[in-house]
Amino acid sequence: MYFVGDIFVSEVLKKPVLDRAGEEVGRITDFLVRTGEVFPRIESVVVTSKKRNHILIPFENINLFNKRIISVKNFLSELAEQKAKEEDLLICRDLLDKQIVDVYGVKIVRVNDIKLGDIEGNLCLIAVDVGFSGILRRLSIEHIGKQLWGLFGYSISSKLISWNFLQPIEPKLTKLTLRITRQKISELHPSDIAHIISQVSLNGKTALFNSLDLEKAAEALHELEPGTQATIIDRMDEEKASDILERMHPDEAADILGDLSEEKAQELLNKMEKEEAEDVQELLEHEEDTAGGLMTTEYLGFTGDMTVSDVFKNLRLMSPDVEMIYYIYIIDDIEHLLGVLSMKDLILASPMAIISEIMRTKIKTVSPGTDQMKVAELISKYNLYAVPVVDEENKMLGIVTVDDIVDLLLPPSSRKKRQRT
Amino acid sequence: MKLKIFSRLRRNKFIIFLAILGPGIIASNAGNDAGGIATYSIAGAREGLRFLWLLFLITFILAIVQEMSARMGVVTGKGLADLIRERFGVKITLLSMLLLLFGNLAVTISEFAGIAASLELFGVSRYISVPLGALLIWALVVKGSYRGVERVMLFFCIIYASYIVSGILAKPQWLHIMSQLVTPNFRYDPKFINLSIAVIGTTIAPWMQFYLQSAVVDKGIKVEEYKYAKVDVYLGSFVTDFIAFFIVVAAATTLYANQVDINSASDAALALKPLAGEYCFILFGIGLLNASILSAIILPLTTAYALSEAFGWESGIGKKFSEAPQFLSFYTVFIIIGAFFVIVPSYNLITIMLFAQTVNGILLPIILFIMLRLINDRQIMGEHVNSRFSNILSGGTAIMLVILTILLIVSTFKPDLF
Repeated sequence: MYFVGDIFVSEVLKKPVLDRAGEEVGRITDFLVRTGEVFPRIESVVVTSKKRNHILIPFENINLFNKRIISVKNFLSELAEQKAKEEDLLICRDLLDKQIVDVYGVKIVRVNDIKLGDIEGNLCLIAVDVGFSGILRRLSIEHIGKQLWGLFGYSISSKLISWNFLQPIEPKLTKLTLRITRQKISELHPSDIAHIISQVSLNGKTALFNSLDLEKAAEALHELEPGTQATIIDRMDEEKASDILERMHPDEAADILGDLSEEKAQELLNKMEKEEAEDVQELLEHEEDTAGGLMTTEYLGFTGDMTVSDVFKNLRLMSPDVEMIYYIYIIDDIEHLLGVLSMKDLILASPMAIISEIMRTKIKTVSPGTDQMKVAELISKYNLYAVPVVDEENKMLGIVTVDDIVDLLLPPSSRKKRQRT
Repeated sequence: MKLKIFSRLRRNKFIIFLAILGPGIIASNAGNDAGGIATYSIAGAREGLRFLWLLFLITFILAIVQEMSARMGVVTGKGLADLIRERFGVKITLLSMLLLLFGNLAVTISEFAGIAASLELFGVSRYISVPLGALLIWALVVKGSYRGVERVMLFFCIIYASYIVSGILAKPQWLHIMSQLVTPNFRYDPKFINLSIAVIGTTIAPWMQFYLQSAVVDKGIKVEEYKYAKVDVYLGSFVTDFIAFFIVVAAATTLYANQVDINSASDAALALKPLAGEYCFILFGIGLLNASILSAIILPLTTAYALSEAFGWESGIGKKFSEAPQFLSFYTVFIIIGAFFVIVPSYNLITIMLFAQTVNGILLPIILFIMLRLINDRQIMGEHVNSRFSNILSGGTAIMLVILTILLIVSTFKPDLF
């Protein structure tokens, strides 16, 4: 069975199914689903012939299955009429357009579409589409709708709820129930997602990641164990994997790429945006257990001639994207480190003060080759949130934050726990 | 008739009586809204008793259609929009929601026109009455004391009884009325056809079916209790049309007899002159205001409920904005647009009211056909599918409306065809 990419149910419904000789068997009208797994598997395809007979075709007998062509391995004459039973679970009859409620029974939205994906060669339900684009897709005007919206400067993205957020489905259900509350579905913390992910099989994990939006996927990936991170990225579609990596902090992305084969890592780097790729590339060159390997290249650097209030203005603009904002570093035009100010210093200083006049110049720094344990000792000894990494000429390369080394400071047992949950 | 229910329940207190007032009575009574009063008055004033036979006929059809809605609600526990979405998918849902949106918007505008017209009788400018009315209506639901208010306003619907008294006091020729009730009357004339569609559209409005079914579901009536719901629905239909009947009779005997056409609320108020004399304006004004406010709440509510059902959003009166954002947004926007169209373009208020009913009459067949598909589906209704009798009458009504609509279009362009 050749199965390419993800597919929405509405994209294949009413599509003709061809037999081995290329003759039309009928059109797809439904899918029979086998429950039990986290991601329910599609067992057979319901095809309705021109004479309105129903034929159930087991999925193993499907030869091609994509948005354009669906074909079966049998000849038309070999296919006998067969109806789905009352107790079977059918996507269109039993799932599509059904109400979704949260754990408290609060109505949220209806199932606008269902996303199918490949889990170990089986076609499975991986997410329900509850967004506006799902409705447009059902009307077969997704493309026009998106363009029209684009004219007004809006973009419509799919709003997917991964199948594992839903209670197990069973025949004759009247609504789909979420495992979580409504607020959580949009504000689901990445670590919650990571927790759910850790309970699913590896195939499920990849499927789940495919169903998340890039931003969420990047955050959730960050919360997972290093080994798992690499495996998931390895199994994912390269385009999407590189998009997710771009959205991660360079040091984390570098860690993941470091765990992959060199070949794969290079491929993904090539697919990434140039700027992000360069940052990651730089980090990859350092040994993993040194300051250079731990550091992130993102830090807040300002020139010394700015006032405190200028700094705040800039912070408000930039900081949503920056991991660590507890320190700002004062640098010259070619990134030589001159001084540092903590957030506390800035808040207490007069808004009109020039930062080069109030900055602290006695700075603890490390070099890229410094061993990670040394870095950890330094950070814990001086109670720092981050320590700058500089080269021999005192040029700023990046910072190692307390988050990056906290695992080294914890006893091994709690370290594992933190990663798992 | 209302007295009869009252005596049967006399052991209970008055408040409890109000509390058990069924969805059927509310839905039908809210149907006698600004547009309803205007349409029946105009029908009586322009055509005398010629519409009585139609009114008599559609009373039974109203009862049958309402019974279908109530039965679907009881059996499935779902609203009409719920069923449409689950049975027909996105395309048909979107189509029916757009139609409902359009029809309901027209009716909502007519309710605000009713508020404006009734208060203009008391010398209040529409530029004051409409924004204030809109604000009041919005606050009643969003700030959450609506259920109590609804009961009070239903009680005030008793003002309609003044039409009954007025109709009797006008001393109509009862024998003539009786014969007109059973004598079909039709004329190939765009005005007559338009009025026919409006009379049907205001009596059996699409929004009433959505409202009634949701209300039945809301009450949680079980299949075993269905026979009571049926009584409630039948009673509501007959009481409502009984009043409509007297509006037509009163208007026919006072206005048609003296060749007075209705161009404003004060013309329509003259139908109450036999009862109230000089004070007929006050009586008519209060009645119209009450009916308009009640329906100006119910219409946007029904629309917001139906849309929420169709798209699966949380809904409900007394919910906070964060709990039901789409529901409350639609309710709010609907009120604003409804009020806007009465103030800004400054059309004749009576024209607005009549127009909305025609729109509803034209849209009704589509909703009726959809209802018929649903109620005859054994997967949805089980053994409670429609009887052949109900199918023929409601299907026949839908077909009749389609024919009338075609005739309206043809007669507008080719008045001399027949």
